[in-house]
This record gives sequence, structure tokens and C-alpha cells, in this order.
Amino acid sequence: MPRDENILRQKAGGPMVWLMALAPLVFRLLRAVWPIPHFGKTFVVTRYDDVRAVFLDDRTYRVPYREKLDVIMGGQPFFLGMDDTADYRRDTGAMRQVVLRSDVPTLLAPDVERLAQDAVDKGNGQLEVVDSLVRHVTFKVFGKYFGITDPPGEDLRVWATRLFEFQFADAGNDPALRSEVDHIAPALCAHVLALIEARLQSGMFGDDVLGRCLTMQAKGEIGFSDDQIRTALIGFMVGGPPQPPMVLPQALEQLLRRPDALAQAQQAARDGDDALLAGFVFEAMRFDPLAPALPRVATQKSVIAVGTRHMTTIPSGANVYAAFSSAMMDERRIPSPLQFNPRRQPHEYIHFGHGLHTCFGIHMNQALLPLMLKPLLKRSGLRRAPGRPGHLSKSGAFSNAINVLYD
Amino acid sequence: MKQTTLSVVLEVQPQSADNLSALIGELRHREDKPPPGSSEQYGRLKNGVPVLHFMSLSVFPSADYDPIFVIEANFDGPAGVFWGQLEATLGIELRAMLRCCKKPADQDGPLYLAVTSPDSRVPLAPYLEARTLRPSVFHHGTRGMDRDRILREGELFLATRRVLTQSSPTLANPYRAMTAEQIHANLRAALQPDFPWLDIPAPIRISRIERAGDLARLIIFLFLLLACLSIPGAVIAFISPWQRFLVIFAVLGCVVAFALYLMRAPLEGLGAPSRSGGLTASSLSRRNKLTSLAHPATLAIAVMVLLALYIAVASAIGTALAVLFTGLPVETLWCPTIRVVALGLVSVFLFTIPALVFWLRRLERRDASHDAPPIDSDMMLKMGQREDRIAQNHMGSVVLVKPGVLRTLLFRTGHRGLGLVLRVVATDGYLGSMRTIHFAHWAFVNNGSRLMFFSNFDHSWESYLDDFIEKAHGGLTLAWGSCIGFPPTRFLVLDGASHGRKFKAWARHSMAVSRFWFAAYKDYTVDQIERHARIANGLRQIALTKKEADAWVRDL
Ligand code: HEM
Repeated sequence: MPRDENILRQKAGGPMVWLMALAPLVFRLLRAVWPIPHFGKTFVVTRYDDVRAVFLDDRTYRVPYREKLDVIMGGQPFFLGMDDTADYRRDTGAMRQVVLRSDVPTLLAPDVERLAQDAVDKGNGQLEVVDSLVRHVTFKVFGKYFGITDPPGEDLRVWATRLFEFQFADAGNDPALRSEVDHIAPALCAHVLALIEARLQSGMFGDDVLGRCLTMQAKGEIGFSDDQIRTALIGFMVGGPPQPPMVLPQALEQLLRRPDALAQAQQAARDGDDALLAGFVFEAMRFDPLAPALPRVATQKSVIAVGTRHMTTIPSGANVYAAFSSAMMDERRIPSPLQFNPRRQPHEYIHFGHGLHTCFGIHMNQALLPLMLKPLLKRSGLRRAPGRPGHLSKSGAFSNAINVLYD
Repeated sequence: MKQTTLSVVLEVQPQSADNLSALIGELRHREDKPPPGSSEQYGRLKNGVPVLHFMSLSVFPSADYDPIFVIEANFDGPAGVFWGQLEATLGIELRAMLRCCKKPADQDGPLYLAVTSPDSRVPLAPYLEARTLRPSVFHHGTRGMDRDRILREGELFLATRRVLTQSSPTLANPYRAMTAEQIHANLRAALQPDFPWLDIPAPIRISRIERAGDLARLIIFLFLLLACLSIPGAVIAFISPWQRFLVIFAVLGCVVAFALYLMRAPLEGLGAPSRSGGLTASSLSRRNKLTSLAHPATLAIAVMVLLALYIAVASAIGTALAVLFTGLPVETLWCPTIRVVALGLVSVFLFTIPALVFWLRRLERRDASHDAPPIDSDMMLKMGQREDRIAQNHMGSVVLVKPGVLRTLLFRTGHRGLGLVLRVVATDGYLGSMRTIHFAHWAFVNNGSRLMFFSNFDHSWESYLDDFIEKAHGGLTLAWGSCIGFPPTRFLVLDGASHGRKFKAWARHSMAVSRFWFAAYKDYTVDQIERHARIANGLRQIALTKKEADAWVRDL
């Protein structure tokens, strides 16, 4: 994989990053006094119950991803942009036949732990976590698992991250980004189609996801045309791997702020107690999750929080933001939300969405995210590097860098 | 950790009552006999709702009302968290049950429709929260003990058994030869590695803030009660010179007292011998500690202080109000206000209370009691099948409330007062001299026309009621005496529940089958939990003095 220093477009820092740091406080206030604030046709739901209600009512609150997905996929529909239709069920059902839960412990987890261990060993007591550890491991493991290699002379990490930014973190529709995407998207489609073609030519499908898709295609199963396969694989590579390098460094930053929790998480890592380690990682993520909110668009006039004092009517066409970061801090449902507690109930976390569009990779994430940090956490003397580099820096929605030292 | 007791009472669509009972039965069956390979009995609820101590789901049929569906819950911490956990665990089952209930006619109707419409995925918790009923009186036997602590200390206790057991029948048990302090030191050393929490001080069971709040609520209640009772006297005190006032009220008081004296005895055949355990003067004794309100001197001083405080506060408020309404200066108003307040207070004891008791006694003498309530043998069989399966048992009952202004006022005020007194007094698990109740509560349902009672108690139903009859009949008569069919009462707290046989028949008749009942620590009685707590508290200490160790070792 060629090394590219500019995987992220934006420079670190800036006013947006500062504003985002205030989000927890603002949400706390809003939950108490104005649980569903709205500005024109934009509504934000902040309480746990209302966030769940929005996610669960996918008929009324539809995902708004279709338009940009069409740009990325060249018009071929990907299930992330769909309603709960027969097409949605066909496509997700097809992919569940080739992305198996049983792969996580057998294929993925060992690779993740080994590569993460290598990265930590190579760091020799000093490591930049975002790129050298998490992004490196994620792209290596998922690239191999899905069967998607770097495009010739290009860097898949950059392409996937650009397309991810365009799809999920480009509310302002930046023209510069768009022109990059106009180049990357068709090139990535062509690249994946070429990979498909090459495998078909060789007749050796292999046991990665691409290979399994081609086996299904050969059997005449529905949902596995060339275009369907390449759309799903691009969807996975764009929707999945850019995210661990966002959230895991954030989780580590939260652990570094809590020496007690860090020490206990390290102990769990050393004891090989993966369930408890996962508890620490997902709890740390609760204090700084993927994003403040996920977007939806109201397909019809509707009412949120019926029969309560903050009942709100949402007009058709309104933009509704389900603030899952706020929901995970809602003291009305989450016990002592400001306390760091690695033994919470599963329903207290909404890291991977909820309802119809719950993350397709949720099972992988639940097992693999903790494992990516495990070898680092096992090391004694784990601490921040001196000065600014030892603290997490962000560029826009992305984690930029965080440097740590260990013995 | 503060515990919470609450219930949700929902009217059932009559045609869906059987369906509802079947749904509850299915849930019970599934939790009783989980599919092979899955978790322990009731494991889903135990793990999914870690704050839960006891919970029941019942359907109360009635000849006078449509059936009601009751969710009774006793848990740690705030209700919102509990509902969130319950919804995450039993959401699907509960939604199906809610669909058997009626749409509330009040402002919760739209929320009901939203959660029960076909395919609805609207969160249930807000609806359950909106329909939550706070108990009128409740009692927590293991006050301030969160569930996790009860379970942890139970495990610790079992571990002490293992350590203390003789390793081989042929070898002498080393613990026999040790002093209490050595036993403590050895046990602690043996158990600390497996129970690292022994190094952390025990969580405070009742915080000072909670205690102060309980006391403050009781005092405010007493103040308001005195203020209300003194209204008739205070009105007359406005126009009457104080000498005349005292004479008139003394005469009135004597008349009422004489009438009461004539009516004091039970009617022919309606008396019941009562022993200790009531709200009687006999529990006062000079042998009690001076710091306890059960010492007559302390009680007398406390009452005096309270009354003096009442006069001061009520006069201050009265003066302020008088200044507001009349515009006259404080100097002119404070003296007459104190006079009115003080005379009003005198009238409470000279006349108002005796007069109310007189009125009550007249009602009591004409009350009808239900001496032979019909017992449904099928229902009895079902109840019997569910009882005595574990160390604890459960009962739920609903009864009609007697009508009338006085009854309603006395009953509501009595419940409020009893509830507040229990919070202040019952802090160590004891209710009177009985300690067999984990969680119990009363609540008014159907717009106050019925009274519901739930209890999660130790041992059998018979022994529980015997205990109640023997040791807490006064409180019980106060809490239940204004219900239709209750055995004949006297002066609100006498007789009543002391009619043991009649009371039991009446209570059985009012009960419904506990269709679904969850107990988080089914092997522990309240006494056992307290014993575990004492052992754990001792082991939390690095060393005990000889005296402490001698007391501590008796629990082992
Ligand atoms: C840290 C890692 C990840 C996080 C935090 C995350 C988070 C999310 C979230 C919040 C959604 C819901 C979006 C919405 O409802 O608007 C989602 C959906 C999705 N995620 Fe992930 N994800 C992660 C990793 C992955 C991975 C590794 C894959 C690869 C398979 C993946 C594939 C998907 C797909 C395909 C969807 C759409 C599911 C659907 O529409 O049914 N994600 N993810």
C-alpha cells in the first residue's frame, strides 16, 4: 500500500472542532429544556426515547443517503439508501450469505490481533494510533476479507476516506471534494469490476467475500450480478473501514483522560478478558462517539413524543437529526450517564445506529474494535507522548493523530 | 442506594382478559423453563434488568369493575432507568399485554394508541411512566441495599461457609481453637483475594440527605395536619375572648369525651383480644434508650418542642398573611395571631380530634363486615400451586374502599401519615417487631375507590399473616380498616386485624393469583440479608476490637 501523508483533506483543528467539543454540554441543556429543538425545517431529537422512535420508524424517517450514493455507485442502488422494501431485504439477505458472523472469530479476529501486535511492536515504544495502528490494521484486514486490493498506483485508504467524507461528512457540499469524488467514484467502480473480471477469468474464486459472491453468482443465486457485487463491496469499503480510525482514537483519548479506567482496561487486555475489554472500549466511545447525530428526512407529517409535554409535530420533508450521542447520555434512561461504567447493558449503546439501518458490520465491530487496541493496551507504561501530539487532534469529523509512548 | 416501589394499573378490555392472562402465563412459562442452553430460570429478567429486586404481573378480576392489569415493581434507583431496562428486556411481551388494555380516557390516550397500534415501534417506557402509580404507603425491608450488594454479600456468605467447613472429618477444624479476632483476621485474609470489594467501605444505606428529607416531610405533614384541624377553633378564636373560648371548648370536650367513653367498648361479640405489636401505649417504656422516641420522656419532650415550633411557625406565617391582607403593621398583628394559633391548637386536642373520633366511632358501630367471604376454590388451587416454591412468597390484593366524607379524609390522611412515619421509623427492616417483608406497598386505584396491596415476604402466607396479626395489627388496621368487609374496627386502630381468622379469610378473598412473579434473590430472607450485611461489614474492617469481634462472630 503506498503511503500517502494526506489521507485527510482538512487541516487539524479549526472552529468546528472546538464547537463539536461543546456538543455534550449543549445536548444536556437541550434534553432538559428543549428536547426537540428546531430551526426552520430542521429538527433535532435529543432524548433516548425519541431517538429510538425516529430510528425505529423508518417509514416516516427515511435515510437521506440515496442521492450521494448514486454518485458513488454510478446509479446502482445500495441498501444503505433504501427503504424497507423487497429490494432491501434481497440485497441485505444476499450479503448476509457471504459476510458470515462465524468469520469474525475464525478469519478476522486473529488477523486483527496479529497486525495490531505487529504495529505496536514496530512502533518500538512510540506510536501514532490513528494511522499507524488503526487505519493500517483496518484497511489491511477488511481489504483482504472483502477481496478489494489497492487500485493500481492509488491508495484505497484515501479513496474510501474521501468517498466516506462526501457521503457522510460533507453537509456543505464542498465543490473541491465533489470534483475529487467525480474522479474517484467511477475509478473505484472500474477497479472493483476489474477485480471481478480477473477472478472470473482465473476461475479461482477464493474464500474472501468477493470470491463467495462469485460462487453464489455461479450458482445462479439472486442478488449477485456483477453490478450488485461491486456496489455492495464498495459500500462496505466506503462505509466501514474509514470509521474505526475515527472512533478508536477517540476512545483511547477518553481512556487516557481516566487513568483508573485505563489501568483497568489494560488489566482486562492482559487477562485476555475480551468481553470486559469491549466494555471499556464501547464505554469510552460513549463519551465521544462517531458523530453527534444521524440524519433522516420525514416522508410525511408526523408527531414525535406523542402524549408527552415535548410532543412535536414534524412537517413532511423536514430534516430530522437523531442525536444518538445525546441519547447515550440521557439520564432519563441511562443510569448515571456521566459515570464511566464498563458493565452497562447493551441497550444503553447506540454506536452503530438502530432499527432498519443498524450497521451491517455491527458484529465485526463489536468483536474487532477492542482487539485493535488490545496489543497496545497490554503494554505497560502506556501514556501520552509529551505535548500536543500526545492529545487527540481532529480534522473535521475525522481523528487526525494521537501519539502514545509505552515500555 | 435508594429503592423505588411503584405500580402501573391498567384497565383491561373485558373480552381480552383471558388473552392477557394467557400472555402472562406464556411469559411465566418461558422464564420458568428457559430453552435448553440459554440462561438460568428468569435469567433474562435478572440480567436484563439489573436494578430489579421483585416484580409481578397480575390480573385482578372483579364483580364491580372490569379487570385490571397490574405491573408491580421494586427496584434500585430512578424509575426511568428501570423502564428503559424493562422495555429492552420484555418490550415485545409487554406491548402485546398493553394491547389487551383499554385506551385511557385522559391525556394518555394518544400515547396509548401510539404504542399499541399494529406494528407500532414507539417506545413503551414513556407510556408506562405516564401510567405509573406512586404507593400511598410502602415499606422496604432491606432499605438502602442495592440488588448487586445483596447478591455479592450472599456470595461472600457462602464463601465463608466453605472456608469455615472442616476440610476433612478426621482433621480438627482450626477455626474452633481461635479467638473471634483470629477468626476474623483469618477469614478476611482467605476471602479478600476473591472479594476485592472488601477493601472498599460499605456504601451508605440511607444518606443524611434522604433521612433529613424523610423527617422534613413528616414534620411538614404534621404541621399541615395541625393547621387543618385547628381551623374550626381558630375561626371561633377570632371572635371569642380567650377565657370564654377555653371554657366553651372545655365543656364541649367533656361532652364528647363522655360520649366516647360510653362508646369505647366493642359491640357485643365484635371485640378481639389484642396483644402487643399494635399502635398502643404499651410499646412506650422507660427502659428504652433515652435517644429513642419510644422512651416516654423523650416522646413528651419531642411533642412539646413540635407544638412550640408549630405555634412559632404558624404564627409567623399567619402574621405575614395578615399583614398582606390588612395592610396593618406587624406590631399590631403578631400578638392576636399568636393568640388565634394557640387557641386553635388547644381546640384540636380539646374538641376537634375527640369530635372526629366520636363521628368515626358512630360509623364503626354501624359498619358491616364480611364475615364469610366466598372463596373460589379454583383460584385457591392456583394460588396454592404458586406459593411456597422458594424462600419468599408474594401476595397481591385489591379491595373496595368504604364511602363517606370522614372515611375518605381519615383514610387518605392516615395513609399519608403512615407512609411518612414508616419512612422515618422503619429503617432497619423491622415493621413493628416483624422482619419478614422485603417490599410491600399500598396504592389507591380506580380513582381512589379501591385499595391495592402488594407484598413480597418471607416464609408462608399463613405465617406472614399470623405475624402481621400478632405484631403489626395496629398499623394494618389503620391501613386497611376503611375497606369494605374488613373485620370490625375500633378507634381506627383497634380490633380489626386482631380478628385473626376473619381477617385471613377477608385477605384471601381479596387476592388474585400472582400470575408472574420475579424474585432476584430467591434464597434469602430479610433476616439472612441483614446477617450477610453484618458479616460483610465486619470483613470490610481490617481489624476488629475484641468486643466487636465477639459480636461479629455470632453471625457466622
Ligand atoms: C467503527 C466502526 C463503525 C461504526 C461506528 C459504524 C456505524 C454505523 C452506523 C451508525 C450506521 C447507521 C447509519 C444510519 O442509520 O444512518 C451504519 C450502517 C452501516 N454500516 Fe457501519 N459502522 C462501522 C463499521 C462498519 C463496517 C466495518 C462495515 C462493513 C461491513 C459497516 C457497514 C455498514 C453498512 C453496510 C451500513 C448500512 C446498513 C443498512 O443500511 O442496513 N460498518 N454503520
